[in-house]
Amino acid sequence: MDLLQFARGPALKFALIVFCFGVLWRLTAVFLLRHERTLSEPRHPVFRALMGGLLAAGSRSAPHREFIRRTGYSEALGYSYHIGLFVVVLAFGPHIAFLKSLFGVSWPALPNNLVTVIAALTLTLMLAVLLRRLTHRVLRLLSNFDDYFSWFITALVIVTGLMASTHFGAPYEQLLAWHILSFDALLVWFPFGKLMHAFYIFPSRAINGYALARKGASV
Amino acid sequence: MPEYQARQTIGELLDRQGISRRAFIKYCTAMASLMALPPLAGRAMAEQLRAARRPSVIYLSFQECTGCLESLTRSFSPSIENMIFNVISLDYDDTLMAAAGHRAEAARDQAMKANYGKYLVVVDGSVPTADGGIYNCAAGRTAVDILTETAKGAAAIVCVGTCSSFGGIPFADPNPTGARPVSDLIGDKPIINVSGCPPIPEVITGTLLQFVTTGQVPDLDEHRRPKVFFGNTIHDRCYRRPFFDQGKFAKTFDDEGARNGWCLFELGCKGPTTYNACATTKWNGGTSFPIESGHPCLGCSEPGFWDKGSFYAALSTGTFGRAGNLTPRDAAKLGGAAAATGIAVAAGATALARHRRKVRMTDIQTADTQKEE
Amino acid sequence: MSRLGDIPIRIERPDFAAMAGTIGGGVTAILAEIAALLDRLAAGDEPQAIDLKSLPMNPGDREQLIEALGSGEVAITLYADGESTIRETGVHGVWWTEHRDGDGEVTAAFIEIARVPGILIVDSDELQRGAERLRSAIGATRSSE
Repeated sequence: MDLLQFARGPALKFALIVFCFGVLWRLTAVFLLRHERTLSEPRHPVFRALMGGLLAAGSRSAPHREFIRRTGYSEALGYSYHIGLFVVVLAFGPHIAFLKSLFGVSWPALPNNLVTVIAALTLTLMLAVLLRRLTHRVLRLLSNFDDYFSWFITALVIVTGLMASTHFGAPYEQLLAWHILSFDALLVWFPFGKLMHAFYIFPSRAINGYALARKGASV
Repeated sequence: MPEYQARQTIGELLDRQGISRRAFIKYCTAMASLMALPPLAGRAMAEQLRAARRPSVIYLSFQECTGCLESLTRSFSPSIENMIFNVISLDYDDTLMAAAGHRAEAARDQAMKANYGKYLVVVDGSVPTADGGIYNCAAGRTAVDILTETAKGAAAIVCVGTCSSFGGIPFADPNPTGARPVSDLIGDKPIINVSGCPPIPEVITGTLLQFVTTGQVPDLDEHRRPKVFFGNTIHDRCYRRPFFDQGKFAKTFDDEGARNGWCLFELGCKGPTTYNACATTKWNGGTSFPIESGHPCLGCSEPGFWDKGSFYAALSTGTFGRAGNLTPRDAAKLGGAAAATGIAVAAGATALARHRRKVRMTDIQTADTQKEE
Repeated sequence: MSRLGDIPIRIERPDFAAMAGTIGGGVTAILAEIAALLDRLAAGDEPQAIDLKSLPMNPGDREQLIEALGSGEVAITLYADGESTIRETGVHGVWWTEHRDGDGEVTAAFIEIARVPGILIVDSDELQRGAERLRSAIGATRSSE
């Protein structure tokens, strides 16, 4: 069994199992967390509070007008590289083939050269994000191993993917093996690190929004 | 082998057969082009070969289907196909030779004795090693035995086909005969692997010709294949590559994309990880090659190509599942089971935590009550 | 129907004309290389050749190249294990060479940049063998007289 076979075979299988297991474990665990009973009288009926929660899940995605001068740069960075990641993951032909093998649906791909350029841009933006994390004093104090490792594993998948698609540095089958292996590693790390935000972000905003709306605050 | 033939140069032999110098230059020019040498290098090659003596070649067939030999003997036009047999002296080949039985074996012994240390061994087929190697015997001897003996006096071994190079189909899981590639069994001789199922005939003759011309093992890749023929992937040289780059793929064998000749990646093409000359040299005298005929590359010149998952699943997909490739059904089963376990574990852990907390709270309350008393 | 090319087949190909320039470097690069090789030949260098079989060319490119080079004064047919054609292009010293095998399939195709195509030149061995052959023919005639 060569490296590529290992990456596509046992390693990918293990990674997918760990990913599904881990994600559901953590989601369930958070869902079943003990909540302190809210003793205050609800200011809004349940339905309105729920709507408030949904609203918050969306509205928190827009930058807050008052702070835009302070947060604008990092929000623009964050948005751009996340969009880049989505395009690279969802619009590259071979990725679509992979997703099709998982979910049975497929869609047209973007030209490879375009995806390669977007991937390179995304990587550059991620470097800028890392630089900001390292130079911003408060952010640096807030950061732990999890932040850096989650960044690293994501960047590694992009770097190996770029190398594979541009045939840079090693024979293609090795580059592809490294790319798939790094993706396998990402899948394993995903549920246990901050990458899990992909699943947490909207529910947590919604729950916050619900709690606020229940108290009668405008969301 | 008659004595005079051994002393004769290739040029003298060609002259006697009425093959002119120019005809031979033409042949060498064609071969030079295949080897990515400058076309005019064919002339130098022709002169060098004409002055050289024909090396003795012993062709051994083991666990194989004779497809490789078919490929070689059907190589482009009849006159050119014969040319390689003017350049080498094929002294033993149990499939092609007229002699049979003891006489055939005697020819091998004689060729070995007369050219000890100088002859070339061509091996076709993998070598079974299970149960004492009984699954492939000729003249009462096992393939392992014949190979070991013949390899002793060889200048080099050329493995023709994926079976002798990497084990091939007999080697495929579960490998009931314990098939092994030649390189697993012979460690002390230069080995050149000309893989493919079968290899392109021009690649076989080109490799032989290169060895006869220079007397040296050519530049080899990590799988001991000549770099001149196996230096590029099919994908790198594929005329459908622009469609891959444009993200245009055939999704089935008869959709619009397939009819337009779009990239076959999603239909399982192994071109990106397969090193061979199909996309440039092509087959049947340059007529076509599988991808040009609308079928994805199977990756037949790569080690273990038979066991690398479905031929029809894209390279970027998993190689596990019922049919050796990941399907949504497999994924749903696998992911569902893992997710259900995740939920169960989390629920169990939470219930346990709550129970413990409850016990602890009860303990505290009891302690408080006792204090009050 | 003895030749492969006689079998009628219809190949659906992508529109190469529309994709001109996407595969291979195009005709200009080849013309520039020929010009450079002509300079070197004039300066006393060895003849050189450009392999047409190994160049990734679109059918359109090939026709463009033929058109750009034009046709010249010399056309040679070589009968050696199949017909070969060597034609001088409109540019002196640039020879369009195609070797064919006994079935008429092209086995080698290249542009040779030389004063005279090298394959035409007879080597000394052949001259000697020719002379010997003639002498033995004369000898045979004399002895039969």
